Formats: sequence, C-alpha cells, structure tokens
Amino acid sequence: MISIYTRRRAANFTIMSLSLLATATGLIVLFLILWSLLQHGLPALSADFFTKNTPAPGNVGGLLNAIYGSFMMTVVGTLVGAPIGILTGTFLAEFARGSRLAHAVRFINDILLSAPSIVIGLFVYEVMVVRMGHFSAWAGAATLAIILVPVVVRTTENMLTLVPASLREAAVALGAPQWKVIVMVVYRAAMQGMLTGVMLGVARIAGESAPLLFTALNNQFWSSNMNAPMANLPVVIFQFALSPYADWQLLAWGGALLITLAILALNIVARMVANWSTFGK
Amino acid sequence: MEARLHGPPAIAAVGLAPHAMRRQRLGDTLFRGLTRAFAVGVLVLLGAVVLSLAAGAMPAFRKFGLDFLVSEAWNPVKDTFGALPAIYGTVLTALIAMLLAVPVAIGIAIFLTELCPPLLRRPIGMLVELLAAIPSIIYGVWGLFVVAPVLQTTLQPFLIDTLGNVPVLGALFQGPPYGLGVLTAGLILAVMVLPFIAAVTRDVFLTVPAMLRESAYGMGATTAEVVRSIVIPHSRVGIVGGVMLGLGRALGETMAVTFVIGNAHHIRASLLAPGTTISATLANEFTEAVSDIYTSSQIALGLILFVITFIVLAIANFMLWRLSTKEGA
Amino acid sequence: MTYEIQPIETPSRTRPHLIQMPAVDTPAPSPTAEAKDQAQPKVQIKDLRFYYKAYEALKGINLTLHDKCVTAFIGPSGCGKSTLLRVLNRIYELYPDQRATGEVLVDGQDILDPRQDLNLLRARIGMVFQKPTPFPMSIYDNVAFGVRLYERLGARHLDERVEEALRRAALWDEVKDKLRESGLSLSGGQQQRLCIARAIAVKPEILLLDEPASALDPISTQRIEELIADLKSDYCIVIVTHNMQQAARSSDYTAFMYLGQLVEFDTTETIFTHPKERQTEDYITGRFG
Repeated sequence: MISIYTRRRAANFTIMSLSLLATATGLIVLFLILWSLLQHGLPALSADFFTKNTPAPGNVGGLLNAIYGSFMMTVVGTLVGAPIGILTGTFLAEFARGSRLAHAVRFINDILLSAPSIVIGLFVYEVMVVRMGHFSAWAGAATLAIILVPVVVRTTENMLTLVPASLREAAVALGAPQWKVIVMVVYRAAMQGMLTGVMLGVARIAGESAPLLFTALNNQFWSSNMNAPMANLPVVIFQFALSPYADWQLLAWGGALLITLAILALNIVARMVANWSTFGK
Repeated sequence: MEARLHGPPAIAAVGLAPHAMRRQRLGDTLFRGLTRAFAVGVLVLLGAVVLSLAAGAMPAFRKFGLDFLVSEAWNPVKDTFGALPAIYGTVLTALIAMLLAVPVAIGIAIFLTELCPPLLRRPIGMLVELLAAIPSIIYGVWGLFVVAPVLQTTLQPFLIDTLGNVPVLGALFQGPPYGLGVLTAGLILAVMVLPFIAAVTRDVFLTVPAMLRESAYGMGATTAEVVRSIVIPHSRVGIVGGVMLGLGRALGETMAVTFVIGNAHHIRASLLAPGTTISATLANEFTEAVSDIYTSSQIALGLILFVITFIVLAIANFMLWRLSTKEGA
Repeated sequence: MTYEIQPIETPSRTRPHLIQMPAVDTPAPSPTAEAKDQAQPKVQIKDLRFYYKAYEALKGINLTLHDKCVTAFIGPSGCGKSTLLRVLNRIYELYPDQRATGEVLVDGQDILDPRQDLNLLRARIGMVFQKPTPFPMSIYDNVAFGVRLYERLGARHLDERVEEALRRAALWDEVKDKLRESGLSLSGGQQQRLCIARAIAVKPEILLLDEPASALDPISTQRIEELIADLKSDYCIVIVTHNMQQAARSSDYTAFMYLGQLVEFDTTETIFTHPKERQTEDYITGRFG
C-alpha cells in the first residue's frame, strides 16, 4: 500500500513539476525575446531614427517613412475594416441568431480568422495591384482591413450576445424601432467589449508583414502618396535584417523593437479598457 | 403645455408621428439590409479568394498538370516548377512545431488551471497572451540573429554527434550545422504557436464542471490523476480542436519561417538541412517572378496552401463548435 | 395534477380560514362605490389564445381592464399571467416562435391586427419589468429616451417633462443633483423607480408592471406600491404579482389564472372575501401555489 501511494505522489510531483517547467519555459522565452529586442534595438533608437528616411547602405538614416507608412495603412485598414466587422457581428447577434445564414457566416468567418495572411496578400495582389497596374498603400490597407474584419466580427458578436434580453425588451417596450434599440442601447451596453475587440484586432494587423510584401511593397524614400508603393516597418525590417549591412541590421532591430512596444502597449491598453469599471460613481 | 404629465397622451397630440413612423421603418430596413449585406460579403469574400487564386494558378496547372504537385523541380531559368519541396517543408515544419509545442502548451494549461495560485493566474495568463501577440516577423528576426547561431554552436553539433550515429534515426541528423534549416524553423514555429494552443487549451480546461473535479479530489486523487482521468478526457474534443487550430496557423506562418529555413528548393532527409515552405517561397520570390509561368506557379502554391489550411481549420472549428454546443455555451 | 373547478356550496357559509383583508396603512384608498361606477373599460380581451410553438399557453381568455384602476393578475408559477401581460404590448413579437390569436381591443381598436404599428402601440403602452433595466446612459437620458423618440420638445420643455416624471416616480429628490450620472449608479429600488419614470415620461395610456417589486427589498417594495396607488388616478394599470397580499392591497380588480385559463375575474374585494370558484379560494388561502 505505501509503495503505491508513494508512486502516485511521485508521479504527481513529476507531472506538476513538468507543467511548472513548461510555464517557466514560456515565460523565459518571452523575456528572452524582449531582452534581445531591447539589447539590439535600443541603440538604434536615436533622434535620427524618428526623423530621417531609410538610407542607402553606409549612410545615416532612420525609419521615418516606414513608421509613417505603417501608421497610415493601419489607420486606413482599421477605418475600413472595423465598421464592416462591427456591422457583420451585429447581423449575427441581432438579426439572424440561429439562422442557417448566420451559421455559415460564423463558420467561414472563423476560418478566415486563422487563414494564412500571405494568401490574403496574394488575393489583393490579383484583385487590386494587377488591376491598378502598380503597388500601392491602398492595396496594403485593403489587405489589413480584410485581415481585421474576422477578428472584429468575432468579438462584436460575442459582446453583443452578452447584452441581456431584458435591456432590449425595455427599449422596445418604449416604442423604439429596432435600429435605435441596437445603436442607442445595445451598442452602448457592449461598448467596452467592442472597443477592446477592435484594439486587439489593430494590434494584430499592426504586426502583419507577409501580406504587405506584394501589395504595398516598399519605398526607399518618403512618400505620402497612398496610390503608390509605401514604406512600412515590417517590409523594411525584412529587407534590412536579411541584408549583409550592419547599419541596416541595426535599423531592423530598432524597427522590431518599435513594433513590439507598440503592439504590447495596444494589448495592455485593450485589456485595461476591458476591465475598467465604468459604472459612473 | 406638452410638458405636463396629466393630459391627453402625447402620441395623439404629436403631429409628426406619421413621419416619425415612416422614418423609423426606413431606418430599420436600411440598417438590417446593411448588416445583412456585409455578412453575406464574408461568404462572397471567401469565394472571391478561391476564385482569384484558382484563376491565377490555371496557367501553371495547365502547363504542368498534376505533376506540379509531386515535382521537385524549381528552375526559374528553364521555367519549370514543382510544388513538392514547398509542400514537404510546410508540412514538416508544422509537424515539428506541433510535436514540440503541444506538450508544453498542455503543461502550461495544466499549470494555469490546477497549480497556479489564484492571484497569479491573471498576470501569468496575460503574459502568455502577450507572447501570442508578438508579431511573427519579430520571431523571425530573433530566430535568425539569436537562436540560429546558438543552435549552430550547441544543439546541432550535439545532435549530429549523438543521434546522428544512431542507425535509421541518424539520417535525420546528418550534415553540417548550418544553424538555419528545417529543424530551426520548426523550433521557432513551435514557440510561435505555443501560446495560442495554451490559451485555447486553458479555456477548454476551464469548461470542465467544478463538480466533476471536486468529486475526484474528494476521493483522494492527486492533481495529476484528476487531470489525466477527468479533465483531459472531458476536454478531448476541445484539445484536438485547439491543436488543429494551432496546426492551421503553423501551416500558414510566413515570417517566422522565412528568416530561418534557408530557402532551398529541395528535399533532404536531414532535419538540419535547409528547405523551404510555401509561404517562405512566396515571401522570397513572388516579387521577383519575371515570367508569367513563374508568377502563376507561385499563385498555385498559394492556392494549395489555402486549401490545406482551409481543410485543417474547418475540421478544427467544427470540433470546437461541437464542444460548445454540448456544453450549452 | 388536474384540478376540477367546483363552485362553492353555499354563499352564506362562514369561512374562517379565509385571510383577513390586511390593515391598509399605505395611503392607497380602497375603490369607493362611485369610483367603481365611473370605471370605464379600457381594454377588452376576447378569446385570446397564445402559443409557444405548438404549446397553447393561454386558452381562450376573456377579460376587461378598466381605466384609472389597477388590475392584478395572480396565480401560481406558469399559469400564464406574465404571458398575458406581454400580449398587451405585443412584445412577444420579438420572438418568432410565439404568436397570439383572438382580439384585444384598446379603446375599440384591435391591437392584434397585423396592420397595427407596433412602435406606435408600444408608445401608448408602457412596461416595467421584473428586474430593473436602466439604460447605460445618464439618468436624464434614461427618462428622456422615450420622449425623444416621438416628440420634438425644446430643451426647457424636455427638462420639465423629465422632472415631472421623476417626481411622479418619487425619485426626483434623490437624483435631482446628479441627473448626468449613469443610471447604473443607483440602487436597485431607485433603478426600478427610474424605469417607472422612464415609462410614464411618454404619457402612456396603459402601464404594464411585471412583478415590479419582486427583485427589491421590502422598503423599496412599499415605495413602489405607494407609487402605484398614486399613479392609478391617471393610467390604466395592470400588475402581475405572485404576492397575494400585494394584490389585495393595491388593486381594484383581480384576475386569478391557472394553467393558462382565466379561472375568475372580479373586483379585488370579491375575490379575496367571497370568491365564486373553489380553486380561487384554495389558492388565496394557500392550499396550493
């Protein structure tokens, strides 16, 4: 008897230790990555980094055009993708719950959520870049919008479904038409969650690189023309990191650090919004 | 006059009621139509993606036929292309990633649900999710500059010297330690996919009813036994679903792999040799494709990747959906 | 358990087991004879049947609701009293599996007519739910919500309307300094009074109250009952309650329902002192339910 119990205790100890080890591994890797980023990237963050454009090898420069490009494409992509996602999520939660169309849309949406983003880039290449005859920031923004939509659809639907039926009934009982019930009452009740969902989606598209490779391409110089190739952080990092030039590699690290900090900040703010108790006291 | 509450009902007194009615009905119709249009748009989008990829891939398939899927050729000069190395690399790196990531992810999920002190659960969970938020290009850069050199000087020589001499299995660990290669790519991919699977598995573990757990503990079972006999069997479908979701992501991952796989269009037995994946090929060569057949071959690769991931993700989502309806979620 | 309806044997038999009419210390006046004579019928329900999918939840209800009176629906759980209440503003239309047949005439017009505009109907009939449901907006905006839907009032008139509604709902003194704060910051009893203020701000003709005090503490409950007694003079009020004492205290007419049928409908005094149906008497004396 005693030996069986001892064996069970030992097995338990082993498995629990392994699970602790697994978690420690995960956390250690996280810190290793952040440490690498800081170690290699911090030296790159100078005044020049934020004010000069991408240089030719051997010259002094920064990532200004890339930062601008990423910012613009992310913003445009969000402005296009978020409303589409919210409205689709509204359809699933408010107008068609349980219908076959809703099931189909939800199923396809979840697949698109995890689909390879490079394939989305290919699609936009075929549909926009080839048609327009050139690469453009619009195409890049369109790709980001397509990647954003499924994320926002999912979170919007979940948040709207959480709003209790009694709140809707109370608004309907006052004679409000359905669209006002949704826009003026339900959206307000779900606003926190919906905002968090959008922010997490933005954090996701801010780091997307592959799809931009053949839509927005890259641009060595400053450009604010959305209708032409535009520099962006991920593609610049890709090009500079794989190059043999040390100063380019340094800039790549700086860009990597910048993207990571921005995305982590977005994630943390999104979670703060989600947990913020807004019941106005 | 209208402000007083005592008096005839407001509706009778308000002359604009008919207009308000019509506007509200119009508002309802427009709003419903708009949301419906976008929802249908999601379905249309999927169809459009498949159609446009198929159209772009047609020339390649017409020239090479189904041999395209099994040919090892990749010669931009002669314009002959084959998808096999890319498909092989895609599947192999994903498999390595799964083998490495799934046990660790389940370990993390067990820790977060059974072992972790309640106060630490939220912060550690958040850190795991932050790991998932790091974009793949960061993993690529980190893999190229930090992990690959380390592997080149430590793990890979070790594997060559030890496992490389084992009969049969040794064939997997031959060749010079490049640092880059299929194994490294699989490793980086594993780190990428790990937090995702851990989060899904943890969520699935949390759906196990407390009563089930408590009755097992009440009989004197150890934590490990509860996990093995109660939690995991109960969450089987969810775990498989989560793993397949991770697999779907791993198959489609681009940047993390492109940096470290070495980009060689051939199939070698050794895991330490460089190789390629579909997404790495696209990332490296798409913008350089000079001939139409070259471009079309690459789009064909994209189509193949999309089909593979679609099937995997469809199965995964189906399983997770089955689980959620059983729970009555 | 089936229960056969049996008439009481002799009307003059003393019934010591019946509850005494409770001492009324709330200022709710019992309906005087002259008030009763003036009670005009407001709603006539004729052969109303209600279905959840194929299940018949209301089996042919015939009932009259009088204006400027309180009518209470009582009965054990599942008897259909809430279902009947929710027919009156057709809020069941939100759910595709639910439907009603028959006639419900409000001032002579059948509101079950498919041509009836639902939004207009609900603007005339207010509803307060069991659980307080303040909207996620300021107290002021909560009360003004319904008003803004259908009326174009200037800012000053709107302010007056909101104040009147809050006063009438016995909430004004407690919130007059924090009208811009969220409605969710109020206590449960205050939230419910806010919902009542919201409902009466649009000057409806009929007020439907679905167990308005069941989620509240006794003090809030008492305030709600005082409120109802006060509002009675202006509205036709229908209240669903599982609290018989509340029904006895607050209402002029009472309808006792069981298993989807209307067992007995009469003045409250009659129902609680000499009910005609055996079943009614048994329910009131606590034999079941």
